[in-house]
Amino acid sequence: MATTQKSSGKTNRRIQTVAIANRGEVAVRVIHACRELGIRTVLLHSEADIGTRAYRMADTRVCIGPAPTAESYLHIERNIKGALAAGADAIHPGFGFLSENADFAKAVIDAGMIFVGPKPESILAVGDKIAAKKTVSAARAPSVPGYMGEDQRIETLVEEAARIGFPVIVKAAAGGGGRGMKVIRSRSEAPELIASAQREGLAAFGSAVVFLEKYLDRAKHIEFQIFGDSFGEVSYLFERECSVQRRHQKIIEEALSPSLTPELRRAMGETAVRLAQSANYEGAGTVEFLLQDGEFYFLEMNTRLQVEHPVTEMVLGVDLVKAQILNAAREFQVWPQESLKAHGHSIECRVYAENPYAGGIPSTGKLLGMEWPEGPGRRFETGFEAGDEITPFYDPMIAKVIVWDETRLRAIKKMKQTLRDSLVLGVHTNIPFVISMLSHPEFVDGSMTTQFVGRHYTQENGIGLEARERTDLELAFEKAAGKVSLTGGVAAAGSTLGSAHTTPLQIVNSPWLGERWRNV
Amino acid sequence: MKKVVIEHGGQRLVGAVAKVGSTTWFSFGGEVWTREEQGRTSRGKKGGGALDPSKVQAPMPGKIVKVMVTPGQAVAAGDVVIVMEAMKMEYTLKSAADGKVKSIGCQPGDQVSLGSALVELIVEPGVEHGVKK
Repeated sequence: MATTQKSSGKTNRRIQTVAIANRGEVAVRVIHACRELGIRTVLLHSEADIGTRAYRMADTRVCIGPAPTAESYLHIERNIKGALAAGADAIHPGFGFLSENADFAKAVIDAGMIFVGPKPESILAVGDKIAAKKTVSAARAPSVPGYMGEDQRIETLVEEAARIGFPVIVKAAAGGGGRGMKVIRSRSEAPELIASAQREGLAAFGSAVVFLEKYLDRAKHIEFQIFGDSFGEVSYLFERECSVQRRHQKIIEEALSPSLTPELRRAMGETAVRLAQSANYEGAGTVEFLLQDGEFYFLEMNTRLQVEHPVTEMVLGVDLVKAQILNAAREFQVWPQESLKAHGHSIECRVYAENPYAGGIPSTGKLLGMEWPEGPGRRFETGFEAGDEITPFYDPMIAKVIVWDETRLRAIKKMKQTLRDSLVLGVHTNIPFVISMLSHPEFVDGSMTTQFVGRHYTQENGIGLEARERTDLELAFEKAAGKVSLTGGVAAAGSTLGSAHTTPLQIVNSPWLGERWRNV
Repeated sequence: MKKVVIEHGGQRLVGAVAKVGSTTWFSFGGEVWTREEQGRTSRGKKGGGALDPSKVQAPMPGKIVKVMVTPGQAVAAGDVVIVMEAMKMEYTLKSAADGKVKSIGCQPGDQVSLGSALVELIVEPGVEHGVKK
């Protein structure tokens, strides 16, 4: 990392205490970075998150409200008050929640603190989806045909959707990563889906404004990590491919993409940099594109750290979170473009607490046990430990598993073995679903598009795997496990589980097929 | 959590087991599953389509976002009757059969537990065709 000695005319701003306006694994990630930099941390948390890892790790904790996000994690004033009360001089917003909220960034600055992220004006110029479309045309980036008018009446939006031609996607203008986002396939389902997107936008971001665009049906999701420093320099840290998504919620991400030629990579990277520069962008950001038939289209820019930032860190050998904090302190110069060389391949899988054999139905409860198989090139990011409660209030991601290896195929094999060796008890996880996708020929050859999950993994009750009986090996394990005493010591033969039956994997009659949205 | 090792094909395979109440949890090879002691009920009953189509129940704990029907209203199989939210996802709960709304057991904003009866229907006999086997 290039720590600057250069005099910029901007004075360094000492950061001694960072407040974290977030929860879960990203809060843990920020705490790790701060500790390495010798910075104290304050966790601004809800009542529901007292029994979590970040709560136990932070130097100081301030409860800012009850479980519902509108009364805690999305409440600007309570976050500011909590940070000030704990003596913080900066706030890191993580991702999701208030991370892309320009009002929040401004409130942090107005309160005399440093916002670890871009300037409020930059967030508005590229973060707000409607303003971004204007910024993007100024940056000469191609975009998908759509509607982003101010007339937000349902009738108007339905008419515009019909003009664009179905399938059309409706998105919350202030949203990100899937919330308030729906695919409309016909005119008849348009009114309800648009209304639902407006509701979700209002609930998640406080704004019901939506926009429409043509839905590309065999596109790849390719996003470029960019980083700007306080000297006005912006570099691109190459791309991540995140085509494996379920209803716009990413599940598997990798760096680099198996689909880009060096020429295309450069063209997309330079477009991303132009976009960031046109917004006078500072800090970490991500420019998302759809790539179809060799043409790329600007999708959106996320003015924050991404969930999947670790894969970029793994192939480039950088620390994006520390870079964010150092940049906020004006002690950072961005990596020169020509110095950035990707090495090897990295994959991230998001582990969700859900039952993959029941259409992905959320699974909540106490984590009875969790153990990740450490090893070379393996990285685990989680906000929970055994004994913690997985609640229904927040998103279902309980961990991210990240691997690095020399080639893509080796990384895939490493990921599969790592997931097979992972132990989780007390909630169901999507790990079997992820392993299945990692083994799919379309994933292995790198040809998958954003349609991959829907096309291959749609079941009658949702998205996931077909219910099946336990294998002989699994039954053998169950039998062996039945001989283990669960209260300590070794059980005598003829265990307490002798008269048990196996729970069927399938939950039938789940009547909730249909469009859903997911988180960041 | 207790670790359990079994030998298979010359390899040592490690899994884990834990028990809470009448439920035993197993974790092995990336799979997680449960087993209930006999005589107790478990969620996710065996068999296809055996659940009562006259009841729309919460498939998970969560919050009611919208109630799409009113008592007395006629519904067709597949009609959305409830929109609920859990873990930041919105779910549409659909009627499994043709019928008429008998009663509604929730309102928007309610936090409901797994299995809560949300809507009760009077199902027209012989026209149940919502859930494919």
